[in-house]
Amino acid sequence: MVDLTVKEDVSLVLSSARMRRSYRAERTFRNMTLACALLVAVMFAGIIWSLFDGAWPAIRAFGLGFLFTEAWNPVTDRFGALAPIYGTLMTSLIAMLISVPIGIGIAIFLTELCPRGLRRPIGIAVELLAGIPSIIYGIWGLFVLAPILRATLQPFLISMFGSVPLLSSLFAGPPYGIGVFTAGLILAIMTLPFVAAITRDVFETVPPVLKEAAYGLGATVWEVQWKVVLPYARAGVVGGVMLALGRALGETMAVTFVIGNAHRISTSVFAPGTTISAAIANEFTEAFGEMYTASLVELGLILFFVTSLVLAAAQFMLYRLESRAGERA
Amino acid sequence: MEGNSHDKVKVAIRNLDFYYGSHRALKDISMSILSKKITAIIGPSGCGKSTLLRVMNRIYELYPNQRAEGEVLLDGENILSRKQDLNLLRAKVGMVFQKPTPFPMTIFDNIAFGINLYEGLSRAEMAERVETALRRAALWDEVKDKLGQSGTSLSGGQQQRLCIARSVATKPELILMDEPCSALDPISTAKIEELISELSNDYTIVLVTHNMQQASRVSDYTAFMFLGELVEFGETEKIFTTPTNRRTEDYITGRFG
Amino acid sequence: MNSRRYLRRRIRSGIFMGLSVVATLFGLGWLGVILGTLLYEGFSGIDLAVFTESTPPPGEMGGLINAIAGSFMMGALAVAVGTPIGILAGTYLSEYGRYTRLAFFLRFVNDILLSAPSIVLGLFIYDVMVLPMGHFSAYAGAAALTVIVIPVVVRTTENMLLLIPNTLREAAIALGATRSHVIRSVTWKAAQAGIVTGALLAIARISGETAPLLFTSLNNQFWSVNPNEPMASLPVAIFQMAMSPYEDWHRLAWSGALIITMAVLVLSITARALESRSERG
Repeated sequence: MVDLTVKEDVSLVLSSARMRRSYRAERTFRNMTLACALLVAVMFAGIIWSLFDGAWPAIRAFGLGFLFTEAWNPVTDRFGALAPIYGTLMTSLIAMLISVPIGIGIAIFLTELCPRGLRRPIGIAVELLAGIPSIIYGIWGLFVLAPILRATLQPFLISMFGSVPLLSSLFAGPPYGIGVFTAGLILAIMTLPFVAAITRDVFETVPPVLKEAAYGLGATVWEVQWKVVLPYARAGVVGGVMLALGRALGETMAVTFVIGNAHRISTSVFAPGTTISAAIANEFTEAFGEMYTASLVELGLILFFVTSLVLAAAQFMLYRLESRAGERA
Repeated sequence: MEGNSHDKVKVAIRNLDFYYGSHRALKDISMSILSKKITAIIGPSGCGKSTLLRVMNRIYELYPNQRAEGEVLLDGENILSRKQDLNLLRAKVGMVFQKPTPFPMTIFDNIAFGINLYEGLSRAEMAERVETALRRAALWDEVKDKLGQSGTSLSGGQQQRLCIARSVATKPELILMDEPCSALDPISTAKIEELISELSNDYTIVLVTHNMQQASRVSDYTAFMFLGELVEFGETEKIFTTPTNRRTEDYITGRFG
Repeated sequence: MNSRRYLRRRIRSGIFMGLSVVATLFGLGWLGVILGTLLYEGFSGIDLAVFTESTPPPGEMGGLINAIAGSFMMGALAVAVGTPIGILAGTYLSEYGRYTRLAFFLRFVNDILLSAPSIVLGLFIYDVMVLPMGHFSAYAGAAALTVIVIPVVVRTTENMLLLIPNTLREAAIALGATRSHVIRSVTWKAAQAGIVTGALLAIARISGETAPLLFTSLNNQFWSVNPNEPMASLPVAIFQMAMSPYEDWHRLAWSGALIITMAVLVLSITARALESRSERG
């Protein structure tokens, strides 16, 4: 039987020097973590400040008109953001129109129809694909997709809508292969796995009991998705889509290869154009003169501002979904 | 509500209120915990027993919006005062939680963790202290050959005994136990109840439990709480056979809870 | 029950569910095509020269070793600097600042930075490093990559630490340890698999980043390990070679793309494997 009586004095011998050292260490450590956390905010502020600083000559010279001018002339120092803004919005729009329905479709497949055993592998495959760098999509678009489109889809669409009043100018030739449409398509393929992954994550926060209740009432698979899952997860899906949009707007390498780098707006989506990020990527290192450089930086400022707004709105919606999930838990 | 006048008072709780935000979870609690005795706190869910326990080592300070008002005297000193050093307090007061919480390190290091906070021991001295602690927790024979293994590799009951060994290693005076057996099987529970009885020879123990039979088996004194108030406090035998308060009787006979 | 109506519902369900299968095949199919092309074109261009020679002038044969080395150096530097900062910041958000408004704000800003256009980050570093220094350099390139690494590591570290149950922290605090001691000895240890995963994901992310390097580290046709000079990197080398009209360069671009993709996939798979091992353990 083990002797459990206490042999020596029960109270502890505390070393005060030891305690003082640990208090100092505590303060230092805590301050270090706080400093690093604040660094994130400092970086953000620094980015905004430096963009403003670099764009200032152009802001002062062009004012608000910069946003509405299509001109882009390094020789006469007249610059305008209209073409890049149009290209950015157009390519992102095309990308979202294609990738959102397909991405949600993939998410529905993964959460409802997919056989249990395949769920994890396909899910992992989707996530891995979301991580493939954009330059891969870019060169594939340039070397593979653009020639194919030039040879097949574009002539087809051009002739199909040739006589239709409005659409004929939307799908007018010549079929370059590269252009706004191709860039939008590449962006769509690139955004696809991201939308699928994030929508699937959102769908998985739906409590199973909710779906079971609906099935128990005799609802079809589609009805459960459309009438129960999507409404419940609405904030999350919108948030996820906006997150994808925010990324698409700022995407550079996927579009730079195939956009054509032409500072003009055309009615046809097959025409070359430019996006903000493509313009900066293609021209910044060769830009000469204060106004040229400042205009490019101002483009960057506009892009950062717009994407930050979109991403902030996306975060907001996703936080709402999380707190709702917490409430119902 | 004092106990036998021959026993010393270890913890004197006087007019204690506790707030979660604006919600008053403990209402004017006054009670004396006697030295080297086992005091059980029982009551239905939400009555405040865990809250009361957690005041005694001020672990609630980790969270915002939680505060205590009143006095809690440990050996005559008010531990709720601003001047109280929290680390020194926790050196004197040990705590065992509902779910076993082995640290992600070896069994040896688990025990040494607490000791290292306060003392700089040689390897031989530390080994001796670790062995003493593990013996006190009735775990030594089972783990003496695998001190280098991770604490998480033990079974549930062993992990809980490891946690008990960890808290006695720092030679506390008071040990707080928050439903230590509720996550364990009956055999482990019996072992730990036996351990608790032996430990009370050297330490004052406050035991929160939702299991009334456990309280009547193990404890010397029992406090019954309901909706944040201390309804009745006295010697365990008396509480369970001839309770004075009607509500106590209802709870003990199972009419609610 | 109205059987006509029921039939319509079932048909509708079948159509939409069928569409979701089509969507999956379509979406994943395209990606399969891309990877297939990448493998085919990339492999055919890979030979020993790719790993031994530097990028060639137009019209000549060569390799990518200077670009690979450059990516490696700048990536390593970015991870070495960015990971500790990110871990400490994430630790603040999860431990000391968890319930504070400041942490909420910082988390918000961090998540915006996480998805911000990387070309703008390049402009930022150009302004604060390249201009004052007077020249492009690998330091600037690494700095731009660090700005990408930090938010990734902050997010994954915070997520991992939030998963650690509070009772573990309380058990250590109850023994009298200071919070920093608890974090370093207990909480970090418990979350270490997750934190490593975060670092791996950050590396995977910067492996393919091109835009931030375009005007920070620029590019270098020759072999150089001098961080104070412009330095070649795989993504930028691929960019230049693909945009050129030379067939030889195109082939090298494909090979470089294959190398990057392989690196990213290996890192991502390793990160996932670590994650699932720690979940089971």
